Amino acid sequence: MKGVLRSSAAFCMAATVTVQPLAAEMVTELGDGEGALNIVAWPGYIERGETAADFDWVTGFEEATGCTVNVKTANTSDEMVALMNEGGFDLVTASGDASLRMVAGKRVQPINTSLIPSWNAIDDRLKEAPWHFVDGTHYGTPYMWGPNILMYNTEIFGDSAPTSWNVVFEEMNLPDGQSNQGRVQAYDGPIHIADAALYLMTHKPELGITSPYELNQEQYDAALDLLRVQRTLVSRYWHDAFIQIDDFKNEGMAASGSWPFQRNLLQGDGAPVSSVFPKEGVTGWADTTMMHVDSENPNCAYMWMEHTLSSNLMSDLSVWFGANPAVPAACTDGRGKQTAEGCTANGFDNFEQVRFWTTPVSRCESQEECVPYYRWVSDYIGVIGGR
Amino acid sequence: MTAAISFKGLSRHFGDVRAVDSVDLEIGAGEFFVLLGPSGSGKTTCLRLIAGFERPTAGRIWIFGEDATAAPPYRRPVNTVFQDYALFPHLNVRDNVAYGLMVRGDAKAARRKSADEALALVALDGFGDRKPSELSGGQRQRVALARALVMQPKVLLLDEPLGALDLKLREQMQGELKTLQRQLGIAFVFVTHDQGEALSMGDRVAVFDKGRIQQVGSPEDVYDRPETPFVADFVGASNVLSADMVHDLVGRNAPASLRPEAIRIGFGPLAGVVHARAFLGSATRIEVDCDGQKLKVLIPKGGEVPQMGDSVTLGWSEGALHIMDSANG
Amino acid sequence: MAEARRAPLSDTLWRRPRLLLALLITPPLLWLGIVYLGALFALLAQSFFSIDEFSGLISYELTLKTYAELLRASNLDILLRTIAMASAVTVSAAVVAFPIAYYAARYARGRWKAVFYLGAMLPLWSSYLVKVYSWKLILAKEGVLNWLFETLHLAWVLEAYLAIPVIGGNSLSVSWTGTFLVFLYVWLPFMILPIQASLERVPPSMLEASGDLGARPGQTLRYVILPLALPGIIAGSIFTFSLTMGDYIVPQIVGTSARMIGQAVYQFQGTAGNIPLAAAFAVVPIVVMGVYLTLAKSAGAFDEL
Repeated sequence: MKGVLRSSAAFCMAATVTVQPLAAEMVTELGDGEGALNIVAWPGYIERGETAADFDWVTGFEEATGCTVNVKTANTSDEMVALMNEGGFDLVTASGDASLRMVAGKRVQPINTSLIPSWNAIDDRLKEAPWHFVDGTHYGTPYMWGPNILMYNTEIFGDSAPTSWNVVFEEMNLPDGQSNQGRVQAYDGPIHIADAALYLMTHKPELGITSPYELNQEQYDAALDLLRVQRTLVSRYWHDAFIQIDDFKNEGMAASGSWPFQRNLLQGDGAPVSSVFPKEGVTGWADTTMMHVDSENPNCAYMWMEHTLSSNLMSDLSVWFGANPAVPAACTDGRGKQTAEGCTANGFDNFEQVRFWTTPVSRCESQEECVPYYRWVSDYIGVIGGR
Repeated sequence: MTAAISFKGLSRHFGDVRAVDSVDLEIGAGEFFVLLGPSGSGKTTCLRLIAGFERPTAGRIWIFGEDATAAPPYRRPVNTVFQDYALFPHLNVRDNVAYGLMVRGDAKAARRKSADEALALVALDGFGDRKPSELSGGQRQRVALARALVMQPKVLLLDEPLGALDLKLREQMQGELKTLQRQLGIAFVFVTHDQGEALSMGDRVAVFDKGRIQQVGSPEDVYDRPETPFVADFVGASNVLSADMVHDLVGRNAPASLRPEAIRIGFGPLAGVVHARAFLGSATRIEVDCDGQKLKVLIPKGGEVPQMGDSVTLGWSEGALHIMDSANG
Repeated sequence: MAEARRAPLSDTLWRRPRLLLALLITPPLLWLGIVYLGALFALLAQSFFSIDEFSGLISYELTLKTYAELLRASNLDILLRTIAMASAVTVSAAVVAFPIAYYAARYARGRWKAVFYLGAMLPLWSSYLVKVYSWKLILAKEGVLNWLFETLHLAWVLEAYLAIPVIGGNSLSVSWTGTFLVFLYVWLPFMILPIQASLERVPPSMLEASGDLGARPGQTLRYVILPLALPGIIAGSIFTFSLTMGDYIVPQIVGTSARMIGQAVYQFQGTAGNIPLAAAFAVVPIVVMGVYLTLAKSAGAFDEL
């Protein structure tokens, strides 16, 4: 009985095992496609024109390579890790809070960049990003990234667009003369504690925070205190992008942390919203295509990684999802629908201001000991519950 | 003396169905009054009109001289024993009996005493703490009776209360009810479709058919002197002779009733062929076909019973043939 | 004999009714025993493990530490909040459902009966999510209800109500009142149908007898109808209470974002990897329902079953 329970909880343990790079076998040369490719992906990441006919970056790949693409969508990073632990997949579009777990859990294999002709087209800022480049080894091909922007209602703010996250963290009167109380939102996930920490980096430098994901007890408590103030301002936390879109339309919301995805959809509907990169900087997410250690279709997998970098995929996906391509040329060379203006709007030029999501662990790099993620979860639940 | 119950032109229609159709009736205080009729004849609806469960479509009801036409059930000085007893399953026997006293606001001790007395009256002493589901059909019936009587009604309404009991118990209860009614001296209005029960219990009987009263009278009246062919047939399964036949026999142009037990075989004005025979225990009933008019004949045990197909002659004593002058059909 | 040759199976089963019973009852027993009880005990077992404070790893030592965690203020909040919501929803559902069920059981006949069943079941046909989202729109600050209040010049009533602490909020859709209304709506059929079934079983003569014995309609309701409808009300309350306690969708879409038990289980299990605490949370509704049923039984609610 104990054994069963132990194995069922194995994937949870993988989350906290320290990162230990390994010298797994790397593919050294490519052959013909195996005829199939199985990918674990976020919803909306692998589109074949079925949701909207204009957005298709699979059919062309299948015709060119003969690899039939099967997609299994996963809604959380934990689900992705669990699916990869089960096996039977070739690739996964892992976010920063899942990628290192899978490297540590030996679920993914190193990538031979010389087998990916377009590797050099990748944004230099991403080529050796710490969420997939571990101890000199590449564990994946950068896919997409996006910032968590400050979205606001242009009718309420008028000409004076907000410049700081203070509109969602501290009580104040907005340019329309009314209080922000009940008119701002915050992300309904523990990772939002990092947004509070990021704000404190500017406003309380004496705390000495160097990374919003690596907080000691004192820094962490300060972030929670700030979030308790925020609780008095927030009427509802957002969790689902479409609910936030609805709230900006029907609940008279003034400002909130958000994704370019919601802003694009709202603007597409003619809603009076816009967004800024506040002066404190922003948090964000970056995803990587990683390859299963026991991939049965390695040739198709490498072909897909090349496809992500060289085809219309990056360009169209960045429009579709309101995110930024890992290949800068995809913004400008017209291979898909994305334009330079679109990339700018999605925050392409603000990369340096983005602190990308990673899972907080107790043995952190920047200081002695940090508050681990599972405490972020329970404490954020407490904050939202009014504690 | 004021009548206990009196109806004037009382009707109750359900859509096109005239369940009770302009009935006039008076029931005396202290009378054991039976409403007799086949199912659907309106007798139960009449009882429900007295209790107040139905509102009349037309006409008025008086209870002891007071107009009760619009009074709700809980304001009428009458109580009912239901056909299915309608005991409250969630209350024990004592609380069932004391229910009316409880809603009236009697003190707990007083209603417990009254309930126990009422239970003693129906010979159920000591059953107070049981649940109705733990009682037999006869016992439930007694509880229903005690529950109604504890309210000391001026009129007790009984809706086919013995229908669900077996024959022996039914006969015993008939006797007990009759005794109880005399002892209490209040009016009982008793609904039944069993003519034997009606004749043995009633001081007076009202025979219903199709929402109308066919005849009201003593048991002897309705049995021996039926006023309509329906009454003759329904009460005691009498032979009804057609007007033509009566004309041939006695020269009067009206139907007549002739009791099966009043017919003798061997000599008389009618001849026919035996075409059915049934052994009833204390007697044998044969059916004789006299030129298409079928007559039932009851031969007491010991009498000579003709065989099927035998030709027989039928006769009867003078006065047995009851001419129904008032009948119009 | 000829028949026997043609249908040996039916004949065997007819001659051996216990075999038939065994065949009928085995699949549900397997389902109950292995799938349901198995999962339940696995969950229960998890709740007696704990998560190591330092490393975040699950420690497989039997302990009550995780249950003590439940008593931490923020977790206790979740429990009390959920139980309060489930109680409020259950009591209100009973109050709202009773007249509807009473009408259906006593008066509705023929076509109206069909209309009733349609009306009661219709909410169950459409997707649960669709209903919750549409309620979000109805309750929104710029939604239908607000508009209605404004049109009737009663906006001040709504504002006064929303100004009440705890149950009020910025708009109905972000208040506990909103969460409550949506719960009440989505679980109402589960209250109406059992009450209606229990009232249907009360013969009309029972009510006539009560009136005949002098009870005014109010007394009949209190002393006869309610006690006889109680098993139905209890059955309905088991549905509404447990469904509310376990739900994690409604409070996520409508309300103040403060967690209820279902959401806590989802989050601790799914994103935090704290399976013991998730299991301990999940055990609470089971215990609460157990206590509730025991109380109901000792109050005699099931005597007439």
